[in-house]
Amino acid sequence: MLQEARVSESDLDRVRELLRTRYHPRDHEEAQELILGALQDVQQIIGWVPHEAAVIVGDHLGVTENRIYGLLTFYADFRIAPPGKHFMLLCHGSACYVGGSQRLIDEMQQRYGVHGDETTSDGELTLQIVNGCLGVCDLAPVIHLDHIYYGHLTSDSMNETISEAIRRGPTPGAHEAH
Amino acid sequence: MDRHLAPTKLTDRAAFNVLAEEAAARFGAMATGSVWTVSVGISECSISKGALDTFEHLRMKLEDSGLRYQLRRVGCGGWCWAEPFVTVSGPGMPLILYGNVDAERAPDIVAAMQRGMPAFDLAVGTVGSEPYGDIRPTREHPFFARQRRVLFEDCGVIDPESIEDYIARGGYSSWAKALFEMTPDAVIDEMKIANVRGRGGAGFPAGIKWESARRARAQPKYVAVNSHEGEPNVYKDRRLIESNPHLVLEGTLLACYGIGSERGYNYIGGEHVLALKRFRQAVNQALEYGLIGDNILGTGVNVEIRTRAGGGAYICGEGSALMYSVMGERGQPRTKPPRSVEEGLWRRPTMLNNTETIATAPSIIRNGGEWYASMGNEKSTGTKLVTFQGPLKWLGVIEVEMGVSLRDLIFETSGGMQDGYSFKGVQTGGVSAGPLLEDQLDVPVDFDSLQPLDAMLGSGGFVVFDESVCAVDFARYLMAFNRYESCSKCTPCRLGNPALVEIVDRIRLGNGRPGDIELIERTSKHVIELSLCGLGQVAPMPLLGMMKAYPAEFRAHIEDGICACGVCPTSRRVTTAIAAGG
Repeated sequence: MLQEARVSESDLDRVRELLRTRYHPRDHEEAQELILGALQDVQQIIGWVPHEAAVIVGDHLGVTENRIYGLLTFYADFRIAPPGKHFMLLCHGSACYVGGSQRLIDEMQQRYGVHGDETTSDGELTLQIVNGCLGVCDLAPVIHLDHIYYGHLTSDSMNETISEAIRRGPTPGAHEAH
Repeated sequence: MDRHLAPTKLTDRAAFNVLAEEAAARFGAMATGSVWTVSVGISECSISKGALDTFEHLRMKLEDSGLRYQLRRVGCGGWCWAEPFVTVSGPGMPLILYGNVDAERAPDIVAAMQRGMPAFDLAVGTVGSEPYGDIRPTREHPFFARQRRVLFEDCGVIDPESIEDYIARGGYSSWAKALFEMTPDAVIDEMKIANVRGRGGAGFPAGIKWESARRARAQPKYVAVNSHEGEPNVYKDRRLIESNPHLVLEGTLLACYGIGSERGYNYIGGEHVLALKRFRQAVNQALEYGLIGDNILGTGVNVEIRTRAGGGAYICGEGSALMYSVMGERGQPRTKPPRSVEEGLWRRPTMLNNTETIATAPSIIRNGGEWYASMGNEKSTGTKLVTFQGPLKWLGVIEVEMGVSLRDLIFETSGGMQDGYSFKGVQTGGVSAGPLLEDQLDVPVDFDSLQPLDAMLGSGGFVVFDESVCAVDFARYLMAFNRYESCSKCTPCRLGNPALVEIVDRIRLGNGRPGDIELIERTSKHVIELSLCGLGQVAPMPLLGMMKAYPAEFRAHIEDGICACGVCPTSRRVTTAIAAGG
């Protein structure tokens, strides 16, 4: 899906403010150690890492844009496109697999047309499949939708949960703290 | 709930001892005082079950209760199955653990307190050794009976966001002991006597590692703690950090002192948000008291602690990849030698320990290496954190002495299978080894006993699966994980793992060919022998393990196109076979 990625100047100001107040490397080694953390913080603030923000981080820490994108595309946590109005993690750890998470993944593909790190065509929902583990295995299979965990899911109960979230409308900061 | 004593920087040991006595007195007063103490477990696992709502409801009810009370936060106690949990002690009443206290049930606790009674129907047990009425001690509960809590001793007991709570329970006394009574060599000697083996999976003796790091002549040198924990069924390290961050921090300080380093790193998976927050907070608190930083307690010893966040790549749990990630690079392993103890972070000697390994150091320094070595068995000493998942009754983080049998852990401690499920196997070693069958479960859980069975202790994550899980499909899942997480640096892993997934996929689809088993074995051999790092070298193991454990299932898929579990999208031949009673 092609969509014009926009970022507001005020979000970028928040990034600048973050770097100014919290990122003071004493040398270039420390600056490099801080890149990943800074990008995580940017994603917390904006929900994704826009090109403009990547450049600001690179300039502040003295590393190239190239280097930043090398990291953004290697590490699974980062998004370089804006997420949908709702954000959902679907855990696919071993315990969730044993509990039937593959059926949930298939359902997302069939019903919403999303697989892996994708956003539905109506821009409502971004799905991220967690290849590691959300660490709440006793709830398996489990999703984390707009900050709330829903466990012991079937395809039906997952669909209901998603429909309910979409009916409620966007949650402010739904993308944060992932 | 934040007791904030304005922290003053401690400048000598006497000042630390005064603080420790005050903190212990205050903590002890909770159990004996005339006020009710109500503690709610707040960690990522309990938050997922609504613990914050429980806390809020308790707060509102307690405010209107007319009782004298203290409401506090504690960490995760490992009993996921009882979350959200609350512990309550009060006038004339021992500490009682209540389980599954959601927001709706929270008022029941307060109502019972007002009657001066326990909430009997929510009680899991009393925390001490004495029963209270019909409420038996938790230690008699099968989930707790076999446990020996060392690392998790204070988890669910102390407020993880309070350094004073940690100090009250003896925290940082090992650090003070090392600084004032022990040479670095003496610290290493205790680690060697304890014979702690690396909890990350390899099982290399930590004391030997510390010694070789001490011998590295280049300066500066560093300690790095691996709290990445990206495996698909392991969450013990993040629970430990969420519940007792200072324990991991104190262990890191002892390692720095032992090897002669002035800087320690803790690399925590970026998705472990609460663990990151609480560890960073712990570092700041320790800095305020002068327990880290420059000229610690007036000794002239300096240690700086840096917390670094990962980015969600499994490979960063591998030593050299972790170092690259800390340095702001893509986490791709390199060939060894040089080993990181010679050339690690910023090409300086770096000693890498797993979170759980480093967390053993404070109790070893406090109680002595011999005390530690007296637990467990001869070759695998001490305790191990293990997690069990799957359709079992009681899930959580379990701490047992090394050597308890897998059968006991599954059928006693974890309560056995849930109703309606029957045991088919248990996957061991995360994504790096094979499963074990019912008749193999008497094996002791330690470093050396599992290997001859092609299983592995790994980081202690075990996944029990039932008869509805197809071995071929499960093998495909585990292989697909390794394919996805391959860092793509070396060819055998980058191309071999997708090839293996492809072969398993055609078997799942009912298009398996004669010779596919041999093809898998041959391809696996390439990946195992030629891959650059430890992760590639074990990537095909779960597939080989599944083939060995369930050969008939693989044969049925390949030769007859039958998936007896009805999981695999095998071709129409299956439908016929099942219709025919296959």
